[in-house]
Amino acid sequence: MSQKDRTERLLNLLFALMASSRPVPKSFLREAVEAYRESPSDEAFERMFERDKEELRSMGVPIITVEGSDGSGGIEGYRVAASEYALPEIALSTDELAVVGVAARVWEQASLGPAAQSALRKLEAAGGSIVEGPVGIETRVSTSEPSFPAFWEAVRLRRAVAFDYRRPDDSTAATRTVQPWGVTSRRGHWYLVGHDVDRGAPRVFRLSRVVGDVTSVGQPGAYDVPGGIDVASLVASATPDPGSLVAEIRVRADRAHGLRRRATALDHGEGSDLILVPFSDDEVLARELVGLGADALVLAPESLREAVVRRLSAAAGEVA
Amino acid sequence: MNAGRRADNTAAGRLSRLLALVPWLTAHEGVTVAEAAAHFGVTDGQLVEDLNLLICTGRPGHQHQELVDIQFWDEDGVITVLDPQTIGRPLRFSADEAASLLVALRLLAAVPGPHDRDAIASAQAKLEAAAGEARAAAEGVVVQVDATVAPEVDSAVRTALADARRLHITYIGALDDRTERDVDPLRIVSLDGRVYLEGWCHRAEAMRTFRLDRIVAADVLADAAEVPADAVPLDLGAGVLRPQGGSVTLVLGNGVRWIAEEFPVDSVTEQDDGRLRVVLPVADERWLVRLLLRNGSQVEVLDRPEIAERVRSEAAEALAAYRA
Repeated sequence: MSQKDRTERLLNLLFALMASSRPVPKSFLREAVEAYRESPSDEAFERMFERDKEELRSMGVPIITVEGSDGSGGIEGYRVAASEYALPEIALSTDELAVVGVAARVWEQASLGPAAQSALRKLEAAGGSIVEGPVGIETRVSTSEPSFPAFWEAVRLRRAVAFDYRRPDDSTAATRTVQPWGVTSRRGHWYLVGHDVDRGAPRVFRLSRVVGDVTSVGQPGAYDVPGGIDVASLVASATPDPGSLVAEIRVRADRAHGLRRRATALDHGEGSDLILVPFSDDEVLARELVGLGADALVLAPESLREAVVRRLSAAAGEVA
Repeated sequence: MNAGRRADNTAAGRLSRLLALVPWLTAHEGVTVAEAAAHFGVTDGQLVEDLNLLICTGRPGHQHQELVDIQFWDEDGVITVLDPQTIGRPLRFSADEAASLLVALRLLAAVPGPHDRDAIASAQAKLEAAAGEARAAAEGVVVQVDATVAPEVDSAVRTALADARRLHITYIGALDDRTERDVDPLRIVSLDGRVYLEGWCHRAEAMRTFRLDRIVAADVLADAAEVPADAVPLDLGAGVLRPQGGSVTLVLGNGVRWIAEEFPVDSVTEQDDGRLRVVLPVADERWLVRLLLRNGSQVEVLDRPEIAERVRSEAAEALAAYRA
């Protein structure tokens, strides 16, 4: 089946669904749409119809399934109400259209890009006019992780997924089954947040650590996202604790400006300055200080000095 | 074709275009085939094919009065919609479409810069109302922004951009160096949640990006900003890193595998010993030395022995001060 024929089939199905204010029975659809009429078997028709119906729904066509009134739970037919089909009247000002244009470009290199473009075309079809001029800001978000589209669909449909996941300190991947709640981008990485079915608890997964394909588990809408869940805050590590400890560090003149920005006190000296830097963990600060080499010298506390010396010895190739 | 407007010719993509095309033509009486093709980012030939497909479809029965009727064969190329049947209005937003715009507008609202906050808020409200149930999907996607910027820097940057004036900034670079620069600002750029000022740097005599959270002071100067006409702005698809120091092959122990995730590496190979071999483009040698100092014995440098030697000697020099 060519793309042209499929487009035509979907369009004729849409017209047939909108043809009446009464529910349209499946038998009528099979006669009304040429490609269905010509399908070789009932099974082939059913498969085609189910696929087409889902495709139209994913495009936003509100197809209502109407159950029969005889109480048997059977389906009487399907229907698209004209009032539900159309985008409601929306009048955007020139300024609003300009920011919407900038917003659509956010996904230019990302998997939501085509959706953003087609949303713009709809706004323009509704009478708006997007001007693609500069507005002093450009924003881009990439979704380069191959698993992004699968997770986004799972979030949207509320359908559980299974995937292999490799934590950085493990040498092998393990299969995880998750009910996705949301996806969030933080510092250039996408994360999936959801309920880990096997562990019975909320978990966060970095998309770059997913190995291979994501498979769907179970039906759409099979679970609810707990109320009050803030996807972003589940991923954001707590705001770094400014720290109740204070390091006394001698830094060379005009060096280590990043560290100096955090200093609470500075005492100018000859060729070097003495600064006081709040911190909370010897190893975390030591790791940063080692990167500064001879530009920084810890005077106190002793435990921080030792952590730095141990790391420098390793980097200098000394056998511990 | 219109830059940035690309045709999606999957069956669903094409159907989406057809359903937008009919109401757009209705709203824009008198447009030509060429104008419509440019608007939808397709060739004239593709647009004519789209129109030909449309006029073969319609309500069941497919008698003349049931088909979509569009006239487009006049020599002037003007298209006239005579009967759109039931697709005269644009289809409502899909969940993806609503989410793409709503999530992006929320992101824009969180990014510092000169853009119009009131317009963002009102556009959000109108789109949410129009999206109806489809808006729910947008709750499942959040792009977080690192927007730590000093209020006086934020205000100076906004003024300079709005009034096209030169800025004098004090900047802490990626290597903790501190420089004073005059910059003619071009725009705010936010990539994957990090926010930069992009402009013509008079010190580098080139286009540069400056992370807003590393600008420690900014003053608006009296001079007008003059970004040279031939200056090439950042390629937003390529990111802000400009590797200038070749590349290096590293073998990463288990504790530092994050290096392969955090930086754009050219290749990644699992070794039999459980370690990871990566080829890492080097933005700056000093940057690489610092990365290696911090991660000590966990990283082995395979090529570039001069780098490994520099790391050892800098560590030894720093150690000497502790043992003095």
